[in-house]
Amino acid sequence: MAPMKSLGSIRRDFAPWSDRDAKPYILFDGVTKQFGEFKAVDDLTLTIYEGEFFALLGASGCGKSTLLRMLAGFEAPSRGNIVIDGEDLAGTPPYRRPVNMMFQSYALFPHMSVEKNVAFGLRQERMPRDQIAERVDQVLRLVKLENYASRRPDQLSGGQRQRVALARSLAKRPKVLLLDEPLGALDKKLREETQFELADLQHQLGTTFIMVTHDQEEAMTMADRIAVMDQGKIVQVATPEEIYEAPNSRFVADFVGNVNVLEAKVLRAEGGRMSLEAAAGFTIETVNAVDASPGQTVFYALRPEKLRISGEPLTGSNVVAGEVWDIAYFGHVTSFRIKLDSGEIMKVAMINATRVSPLQLTWHDRAWLQFDDDAGLVLTR
Amino acid sequence: MNWRLSRFNVVALVFGFSFLYLPILLLVIYSFNASRLVTVWAGFSTVWYRELWNNAGLLDAAWVTLRVGVISAAVATILGTMAALALSRYGRFRGRTLMTGMVFAPLVMPEVITGLSLLLLFVAIDLDRGFLTITLAHITFTMCFVTVVVQSRLLSFDRSLEEAAMDLGATPFVTFFRVTLPLIWPAVAAGWMLAFTLSLDDLVIASFTTGPGATTLPMKIYSQVRLGVTPEINAVCTILIAIVATGVIVATLINKRRDVRRIRDEQMAAGR
Ligand SMILES: Nc1ncnc2c1ncn2[C@@H]1O[C@H](COP(=O)(O)OP(=O)(O)OP(=O)(O)O)[C@@H](O)[C@H]1O
Ligand SMILES: [Mg+2]
Repeated sequence: MAPMKSLGSIRRDFAPWSDRDAKPYILFDGVTKQFGEFKAVDDLTLTIYEGEFFALLGASGCGKSTLLRMLAGFEAPSRGNIVIDGEDLAGTPPYRRPVNMMFQSYALFPHMSVEKNVAFGLRQERMPRDQIAERVDQVLRLVKLENYASRRPDQLSGGQRQRVALARSLAKRPKVLLLDEPLGALDKKLREETQFELADLQHQLGTTFIMVTHDQEEAMTMADRIAVMDQGKIVQVATPEEIYEAPNSRFVADFVGNVNVLEAKVLRAEGGRMSLEAAAGFTIETVNAVDASPGQTVFYALRPEKLRISGEPLTGSNVVAGEVWDIAYFGHVTSFRIKLDSGEIMKVAMINATRVSPLQLTWHDRAWLQFDDDAGLVLTR
Repeated sequence: MNWRLSRFNVVALVFGFSFLYLPILLLVIYSFNASRLVTVWAGFSTVWYRELWNNAGLLDAAWVTLRVGVISAAVATILGTMAALALSRYGRFRGRTLMTGMVFAPLVMPEVITGLSLLLLFVAIDLDRGFLTITLAHITFTMCFVTVVVQSRLLSFDRSLEEAAMDLGATPFVTFFRVTLPLIWPAVAAGWMLAFTLSLDDLVIASFTTGPGATTLPMKIYSQVRLGVTPEINAVCTILIAIVATGVIVATLINKRRDVRRIRDEQMAAGR
């Protein structure tokens, strides 16, 4: 696998997960949650560090909400332990956990005004009145709802309700904040603003965030680390760069971003280099070797933007030819779908670095593709 | 579908309603009869309502009935709401079906049997029969009606509201009084109204469990009617009908508001 330090283009200084001495803040230790025979969460082990922004990514029904609900104390694990800050949470009721949750369904109290909803948690703490008013004002300004304080939830739009739910969970400044799809109902502009505000807030308060999202872009931009879940299990936990550039399986590669997955047979494997015979009928040379023996079937995962496209025949290794099948112009990139001679479709993304492109292609033209020997990854599962 | 009323429908409607309400209408009309003879109309008068005011026996009975109704309805509402919470909250505990069945059985139990079994119990534990025993008996048989009303509301109650309250640090006690109760109170109030109305017009169970000095209005009326119907009885019955009708209408209105509100809540829970 590729050396981790060279992935992506951001240097991250906050990386307690790669520090052997760092103490985990939240620990899921072999946690299983069964509903009858069905395992919603299956023998899951996970560590999260203090001050981390952690994102859970996965298809609908894979157990993300169940995981959060166990941490908040609404569901008891069928097996395994959950530990926060060295303290086993088994038997601690939800109202004594240092955790606040923003519900996927918002769960706003319909009989209370926005202000009362937000103040609810603070009043449970017996915070003095003037401080409550101040704090409520502050979080409502954060979610841009300061003019809606006296409205009832049923007088608000969906996006406004979502922001009230967010404000209510932020108000108590918990040590751990659980966000179940916090920004799903917001429009793009407000969503980006709120993402920014959340990230800012997290820096200021040092709160540990665990966020469930369907939006991989949101997970990539906001999170320190991402866990990709599938059917109650965690498939990979890593930084956004690693998830994107070094996925550990076809599932992760396919789930996050666009990818071409080519089935191939190992021809040779020596000295860190590998040669593969793609089923599509060309040879792949790669420096990203894995533990596989000649003759074995593997998968070569190649991101569209790591391919070069040309209208003229190309020479050298890792070249394949095909026909332009489809073109989509996105402004900053142009996306091609190339039908290889073997019938397979390859996705190619070309960055539009100049206003007038030297490459002029149209539908059904012949095109040649080439990639570097470290452009893709060999995956065995 | 043709919604115009055909002649047949009109006849059916008139006939059906007459069947239901003609006797009551007669009673109300004759309560305003000037004559002492029940079956002879001698002009409009409110004399019997004034007479009623001087009839200490009837007034006493009315006072007993009112107190029994208010107290038993209050206790039945508390117990019935608690039973409804238990039944709807503890998802699948052992013996849940049995318990549900047992809570609802008194709804269809013949009153004679309920009355008799309560009487046997009071005799067995040597409880002096009177005001207390009637009240206890009424709590017993109205409680399950409250449970039915409150439970149907709890079925559609969004539990994540309670979870949110606890997540924000509210104990189960605070959660119940600050979140659950304010949201289900229309059903609780309707349950109280129902229990009160049921207690008000119960004759059978009260007769079984009563003792000296505790005669309820229905018992008083029943015993007087055996000596002959007097216009005073008609008057007192008219007042009773008015009270019960008001109770039923208020309970219905409360329920209607509850439904409107619930639909709104649900739309909100769905996040739209
Ligand atoms: N109380 C329950 N009883 C039975 N099954 C449940 C219960 N709660 C959740 N499940 C099941 O567990 C699985 C995981 O549910 P969960 O809500 O955690 O999914 P999710 O990953 O949050 O999905 P989404 O992205 O749609 O919110 C689902 O298949 C769901 O049907
Ligand atoms: Mg969910």
